[in-house]
Order: sequence, then structure tokens, then C-alpha cells
Amino acid sequence: MRERVFKVRKLTSAIILTITGLCALWGIFWLFFIIFDVIRHGIASVNLSLFLETPTPPGEPGGGLKHAFIGHFLITLGAISLGIPLGIFAGTFLAEYGRNYRISKVISFLADTMITVPAILVGAFVFAIMVRPLGHFSGWSGSVALAIIMLPVVIRATEHMLKLVPWTMREAAFALGAPYYKVILQVLYPAIKMGLLTGAILAIAREIGEAAPLLFTSFNNNFLSYNMSGPMASLTVTIFVYAMGPYDYWHTQAWAAAFVIAMTILILNFIARIILKGGKYYY
Amino acid sequence: MNPRFGIARKLDYFIDKLFFLITFLGASLVPLLLIGILLVFLKEASLAFQKFGFVSFILSSEWDPVFEKFGGAVPLTGTIIVAFIAVTVGVPIALGIAIFVSEVCPIFLKQPIRLTVDLLAAIPSIIYGLWGLFTLAPIHARYIEPFLQKVFTPIPFLGKLFEGTPLGIDLLTAGIILSIMIIPFTASIAIEAFYLVPRVLKESTYGMGATKWEVIKDVMFPYCRIGIFGGIGLSLGRALGETMAVAFVLGNINKFPTSLLTPTTTVTVKLANEFTEADKDIHLSALFYLALLLYATSLLIIGLSKYLILRVRGK
Amino acid sequence: MNVELEVKNLSFYYAGCSEPSLKNINFPIYKQKVTALIGPSGCGKTTVLRCFNRMHDLYPGNRYEGEILFRGRNILAPDVDLIELRTKIGMVFQKPTPFPMSIFDNVAYGLKLRGIKNKKELAERVEKALREAALWDEVKDKLKESGLSLSGGQQQRLCIARAIAVEPEVLLFDEPTSALDPISSAKIEDLIIQLKEKITIVIVTHNMQQAARISDFTAFMYLGELVEFGPTEKIFTNPEKKLTEDYITGRFG
Repeated sequence: MRERVFKVRKLTSAIILTITGLCALWGIFWLFFIIFDVIRHGIASVNLSLFLETPTPPGEPGGGLKHAFIGHFLITLGAISLGIPLGIFAGTFLAEYGRNYRISKVISFLADTMITVPAILVGAFVFAIMVRPLGHFSGWSGSVALAIIMLPVVIRATEHMLKLVPWTMREAAFALGAPYYKVILQVLYPAIKMGLLTGAILAIAREIGEAAPLLFTSFNNNFLSYNMSGPMASLTVTIFVYAMGPYDYWHTQAWAAAFVIAMTILILNFIARIILKGGKYYY
Repeated sequence: MNPRFGIARKLDYFIDKLFFLITFLGASLVPLLLIGILLVFLKEASLAFQKFGFVSFILSSEWDPVFEKFGGAVPLTGTIIVAFIAVTVGVPIALGIAIFVSEVCPIFLKQPIRLTVDLLAAIPSIIYGLWGLFTLAPIHARYIEPFLQKVFTPIPFLGKLFEGTPLGIDLLTAGIILSIMIIPFTASIAIEAFYLVPRVLKESTYGMGATKWEVIKDVMFPYCRIGIFGGIGLSLGRALGETMAVAFVLGNINKFPTSLLTPTTTVTVKLANEFTEADKDIHLSALFYLALLLYATSLLIIGLSKYLILRVRGK
Repeated sequence: MNVELEVKNLSFYYAGCSEPSLKNINFPIYKQKVTALIGPSGCGKTTVLRCFNRMHDLYPGNRYEGEILFRGRNILAPDVDLIELRTKIGMVFQKPTPFPMSIFDNVAYGLKLRGIKNKKELAERVEKALREAALWDEVKDKLKESGLSLSGGQQQRLCIARAIAVEPEVLLFDEPTSALDPISSAKIEDLIIQLKEKITIVIVTHNMQQAARISDFTAFMYLGELVEFGPTEKIFTNPEKKLTEDYITGRFG
């Protein structure tokens, strides 16, 4: 009797564990399916004209997404120049100057929570504080929205990296008569250089694919524009508009844009992980 | 002593204070932004709040820009249902993956599978949405949904869930896509939680003759319970706030869904579609009202979940 | 023999502690001599050392009582310029911590902090410091390489070079060889004996033989109190207190 019970238990265990293997397969299956699909649809439509030409009037096949590439690039550039320095400074406060205050723990927790705030709400917020008062959509407001989304990610990465540096390093610098800001700038930042770079790359990779926060900030623009104070095209919003639109060639171009974004993100992730693996960890 | 020293020293102390201030301002941006968003939403939503109140807004399913009557029942229900589907389908699978990676699979497979999970997380939601619209929805419409209908219609209660014309643009598709999206996060958190279980605990249970599943079920799950709840909460929070993945396949129809196979709308999808088109103040205010509700709910759920996870890490 | 530093009635409280970790310590540090602080773990010897360059100030809540006189001035006074103090009293830590810079920049760091920008002067002083630290020959061809590329013993000598480049009057050593192998330790001990010709040295060590080998004066501490202070030879051959004798002969600690 005990033999049988034992056999049943073993069988149950084996079955359930096989199920977990199936779960893993389920995840892998979808990943490959999605990536395969993106490649399949995208690679056919990616050609030079995609990058070099601007859109044709709606309904006329042809044209490209140059305006969206440039617009997206400019908006991302703006977001990076805002989000990364602010994030690094904030993280520095939490790990260094503010490390003994209780409020730092609170802010750290809040930053962690802020990472998962719905992106579309950030867009609505920036709409209310920038777009409405100014009276128009703008690339700048798109950058601000993206910067707000990047901020907590950079903060946490910086704080985490700084906390990994052993205290003796700081003490050695202090013992030589260095003021705190020099210890941070001349000793700590160089020590976490690689980690920060990785964190920055991953933050950028995340934020390249964002569409929701741009919907009501930088909005969209069917023409090529370098003017950040006006509405700007972005790859992601364009995908949204084109995919939901009626024209076939729009759909094709949406796939092409998705393909470019997906490849860029994959490459950035690849770089970050290679740097992480191959780069010397300082300690 | 070099007289330059005195000045250089004063400069040092001054710059130090300056840097302290700069970093502090940077850090204070976090609470400022979080509170700022709340305040701005409160202000913008006040018009709609004054007109529709709280309970009636939540319960009303009217959404009429022309006659200026707004109620959030449909998008709120839609949000909850889609998130519910996503979590119900996605979490068990994520847990399964976590168990597989932590306990079952051979060592050489661990890294590749974790890489796969990470890559799944890196795919932006807009690509999920695009793919959902052009690939998954048609497949659903042509194969999966008719099949499900055939299977479930005879069954009295479940049958109702699968009524309707299988067009693919519906709750089911949106829910499935979302469930795939939340798998990576939940799986990562669960893997981390499992990793924290002390080996001694597992080994002593094995020593009593327990099977692997029994060790997982009776020792690991209870031990990691809090962390896993935190992980589930986080996926819920994400599912509630996800926009692009569902915007393509949900349809933005302001009607209560009658079955899994009907289109409807969620708060995020409504916002995405109507924000820029709302030309009346009251319309915009109603949208902000929805945004406020979503914001408050997300923050609460995410905050609570992160807190739970923190407790686990602190162990 | 001149007195470089005078510890007078020093007590010290760590943040949040009502019990002092140092209780009323009194002893002198003689100029251009090596003074060793010995005692079992937790006796407070490192705590005393870190008072000399006010390292404790880095962590809020720590409290000093009493005085440490350096050339007549009490360095524990609140109005003392810590940055200036630390250019005169340097420290070498237990674990070698080269900065993430080249070997040259590591040694030059203290000098640059003091405002020295002249390339020639920097190069000269860096070479001088590296020679004094007995590291010059090993690194002179790779000054631009990272400080991390050196072995543990070399890294510690690099840290010593870094500390002496600014020509401090006093150099504090916190168990400088405990993380090193015997050969590197011996090199550093030789270094310390040479350095004392120009610099006053205070060294914390849990290695009694090391203290006996290189120090001129020894302070034996136990549970936050100074049990005995005197010339090393006397402490080790003919201590006055029984506690000292017990420790020296290895009966505890």
C-alpha cells in the first residue's frame, strides 16, 4: 500500500514538473514567434527609402519614415540629456550625501515604485503641465515625459552601483584631504563608470519603445521637422497611427519601423550585457 | 602654508554644499513628481468630479461627448477584466517557469532560459500590440476562438463566456497578449524569491523522503509566499496600466463586454484614443478623472507589492 | 625626543552608544618614532587611530571627549579644518584600495588636491614617493596602467606611496599587512622602518611579533582602556602590568 502511495506521489511530482517545463516552452515559444513575425514582416519592407524619404500623402503608396526616425532621435536625445544627469545626481544623493537620512530610504522606495507607473499617465501629466499652458504639442514635452519615465531607472542603477563601492575607497580619499564632492567626482564616478554605462544603455533601450507618453505630448507630425517646439513625429506613435489606419502600405511601414526598433533594442541589450560581462568589474 | 590654500579650501567647502544641494534637488524630484502628478490629476478632474460625483461616475456606463454625460463604468470594468485575465493566465505560467528554472532544469539551460525571459521583457509593448493586431487577432478569429466556442457553448455557464462573433478584436486577445507581457516580471521575481529559500530547509525536507514537487509545494511556496504575492501584485499593477499592447486589439467600444469575445475598452485605451480629440473641457476632465482613478489604484497596488518584496529581501 | 601628538583624557562614543568605546586614554606619540597600538580584537586600538585624523567624523553621531594635541593645538576641536588636518596626518588602510586611475594618477591624487598642477613637479614628487615606497623599479615603465593591475602587496605599497607623496608629518597605519602574504608584509615592515626617519608613524597591529620588530614604543589596550604604554623593549620583556604580560605571552586574545 505504501509502495503505491509513493508511486503516486512520484508520478504527481513528475507530471507537475513536466508541466513547468511546458511553461518554459510556452514562454520561449511566444518569444520566438513574436520575434520571428517581426523579422518576417519587417525585413521585407526595410529598405533605404524607409530611412531617407518622408511620407507620401495618405493613400499614395511609397515614401518613408525619415521624419519619424529623426523626430524620435531628437526626442530621445532630449530625454537622455534631462533624465540621465538628473538621475545620476539623485542617485548620488541617496547613496552619498543623504545616506544617513531616513528620507533617503523613503525616496529610494518611491523611486522603485515610480518605475512601474503607467506610461500613459505620465503623458497625461506632461500634457496638463506643458502642452496645455503652452497651447501646442512639442518635441520638448515628449522629451520631458520620457525623461520622467527614465528617471527612476537611472536613480536606482546609480544608487545601487555606488552602494557596491566599498567604504574603504571613500575613506582613503578622505584621508588624503579630499572634500566629498571630489571623492564622488574623481574616485566614485570613475569606479562605477562601466556599471553606469550599462544602466544608461538599458534605460535607453527601454525608453525607445515607448509610445503612450508621446501620444499627447509630442503627438505626431506628418512632415519632417527639426523644430522641437512643435509637434514631432516619432517611430512608435507612427506605428500606432499607421497600424490602425486603412492603408496596406501603412501597415507594411509600421512593421518595418517595429523591426528597426526591435533590432535596436536587441542590439543595445546585447551591448549592455557584453560590456557587463567583458568589462572589468572594479571590485 | 600656501595662502592659496585658504581660498581653495573655502571654495571646496562651498562647492561641496552646492553639490549637496544639486543632488538633493535631484532626489526630491521623485516625491515631487509623484505628488505633482496626483495634484495635477485632482485639479483637472475636479470639473468632472463636481458634475458627476464619485459613485455615480463609477457606476454610470454612459459616455456621451455630445450630450456631455460621462461615466467610467465601462473602461473601469474593462481594465479590471483584462488585467484579471492577464494575471490568471500569466501568473501560473510564470510560476511554472520560475520553478523550472530554479529547481528542475539542468544547469546549462538556466542562463539561456533566463536570457529568453529577459528578452521577452525587453520587447516594447507597442510591438506586442502590433503583433497582436496583425498576427494574433486573425489567428484567434480564424482558429482559436471558433474552436473555443465549439468546445464551450454546450457547457451552460462557461458557454456564455464565448458567445459572439469571433473577430479577434476582443477581451480574450487583449488578455492573452497582456498575460505574455507580464510573464517575465513575475518569473524574475519568483526566481529571486525561490533563490532565497535556505538550502537547509530544502535538504531536510528531501531527507524526509519528499518528492521534488512536495518540497516546492510545502516548503518553498509557503516560505516565499510574501515575495510571490508581491510579484503578482506587481504584474497586476503593470497589467492595469498597460496601454499599447491592448490598444490595438480591444477596439475602444464603450459598451460592457457581454462575453470574452466582444470588444470593449479600458481606461488606458480610452485615454490613448480620446485624449487628443476631446475638445470639450468636461470631456477632458472626465478623462482625467479616469486617469486619476487609475493612478491612485496603480500606486497603491504597486507600492504595496514593492513593500512586500522589500520585506522578503530584508529577510 | 619630541612629542608630536599628545593624547589627553580621550574618550570616544560611537553614535547611539551610551557606553564609551574609549575610556580616558592618555599617552604621547613621539616624533619620528614608530608607536604600535596592540591589543585583542575590539580593544579600541583602531578607534584611537581613527581619532588622529578624525575619520570618525564621516559618520554622524560619533562623539569625542578630551583632547589630542598636535603641535599645541587640539585637533578634536570643532573648528579644525579637517581637510587641512588630513594633509598633515595621513592614513594607510588595512585593505589596499587603489583608486580607479593610473598608477601615476593614484600617487599624484593627493598632490593635485593640494593644488599642485605643474607637470614637472608632479612627476618628480610621484617618482620620489614611489622610490620611498620601494615600488619605483617595479612600476616605472607602466605608470599609465591602472592601479588595479598590481598585485596585493604592490597595491598596498602604492597606497603608501600615495599617502607619503603629500609629505605628511604623521602617518597612521591600520593593520597594513593583515591582508598580505608574508613576503609582501616583510617588504612593508622594512618600508616603515625606513620611513620613520622622516615621518612619525603610528601603527595598529594584531601581530605582536610585528609590533616587537618594528616599533619603538608600544601601547597596549584592552576593552577601551590604555593598560600600559612604554618603550617596546620594556613592554615585551618586562611589562609592568600582569594583563600586559598575559597578552604578550599569549594567554588570551
